[in-house]
Amino acid sequence: MSGRVIVITSGKGGVGKTTTNANIGTALARAGKKVVMIDTDLGLRNLDLLLGLENRIVYTIVDVVEERCKLKQALVKDKKNPNLCLLAAAQTRDKTAVTEEQLKEICEQLKKDFDFILIDCPAGIEQGFQNAVAGASEAIVVTTPEMSAVRDADRIIGLLEAKEEIKSYKLLLNRVRPNLIKTNDMMSVDDVVEILSADLIGIIPEDTGIITSTNKGEPIVNDEKSLAGKAYNNVARRIIGEDVPFLDLEEPQGVMAKMKKFFSGLIGKEKA
Amino acid sequence: MLLANLYNKVLGFFRQTDKEQEESSKDTACNRLRVVLMQDRTNLTPELMERMRREMVDLLSKYVEMDKEALELNLEQDGDQVALMLSIPVIRAKDEDEIKAALEAEDKKSEEESDETSEETKEELEEKSSDDADFVNYDEEEIEDDIDKDDEE
Repeated sequence: MSGRVIVITSGKGGVGKTTTNANIGTALARAGKKVVMIDTDLGLRNLDLLLGLENRIVYTIVDVVEERCKLKQALVKDKKNPNLCLLAAAQTRDKTAVTEEQLKEICEQLKKDFDFILIDCPAGIEQGFQNAVAGASEAIVVTTPEMSAVRDADRIIGLLEAKEEIKSYKLLLNRVRPNLIKTNDMMSVDDVVEILSADLIGIIPEDTGIITSTNKGEPIVNDEKSLAGKAYNNVARRIIGEDVPFLDLEEPQGVMAKMKKFFSGLIGKEKA
Repeated sequence: MLLANLYNKVLGFFRQTDKEQEESSKDTACNRLRVVLMQDRTNLTPELMERMRREMVDLLSKYVEMDKEALELNLEQDGDQVALMLSIPVIRAKDEDEIKAALEAEDKKSEEESDETSEETKEELEEKSSDDADFVNYDEEEIEDDIDKDDEE
């Protein structure tokens, strides 16, 4: 087996890298793939929280590098899905505790046993970013339709293009709000794609369910009803190579929204 | 009732025209982003763009008479390629004599200059030819160096 190593990065913080990582990883595992996620955000680890694994971490990536344990011992298995593993970041150390070479070596070893190695990259473009990208051959650039996030994504794309090891990168547009796009108060998906001239791999709508799912430590892809969950599942299927059309976010989903649409339609007609 | 209707209609009318005139906030965002990304990607600050614009005006004025203030120089992106777009409102084509006169004046000027600095430039050229062979994109330092040289002259 030779797994694919994909780094999930963004430049700007707070756009949803870790959420994206947790959900794509879980979705891939649910599709029957063997997945390991590596949190490289040393000192600011959070991927364990989103997966609900924070209490089960015994060894971290730094323990592996400093040879206090074997690589396999440090992999934490997911509660529900045995296909899914996490290699946690150390919370007490900084970005210099692991080098590019060491990360490359870890990825090489994991490639033998897993279909997918997803690397959660820290925000910024400093050493932490360089380390995270070192072992990867593919990248997913997460951004939101906000100016600062798009600008930072452009910077990251520039850096990725200069890296020989990165064979392809895709754009994931997160926290899209169709209502604001409709009233021309937010950049549309097409606007962002045109400005960055990158290929899209997913469009994720803003969803309050993300907050509750994080509270519970349960990735939203496990919730069949959630639109964001569906969108993340589609991203995973596209990564595997399926041709999945993008969700139509314009259409109101719930019963309440449908009723609202129906009534506002009636009122609109009366006025005319 | 009738009055209220009328009021709403009048208000609606103004609102509509407002919207047509005002750029939506997302258009503003897109336009600002395009400009700032061009600067990020090319190392060309607004000051440098203005300087380039002025130099273009000087250069092109020899051949055509144009509206100097209206000359627009913009970086634009077309797919993967970045292009320099130059829009020049030509007022009048210069006739042959005028062009000749401008070019002769230019030649004279450069001859004088080259007399003064011929030895210096020779050395410089030799140095440069070995340095510059592979450069496609100028980095900031290079641009600054070139400009400093211009300023000295």
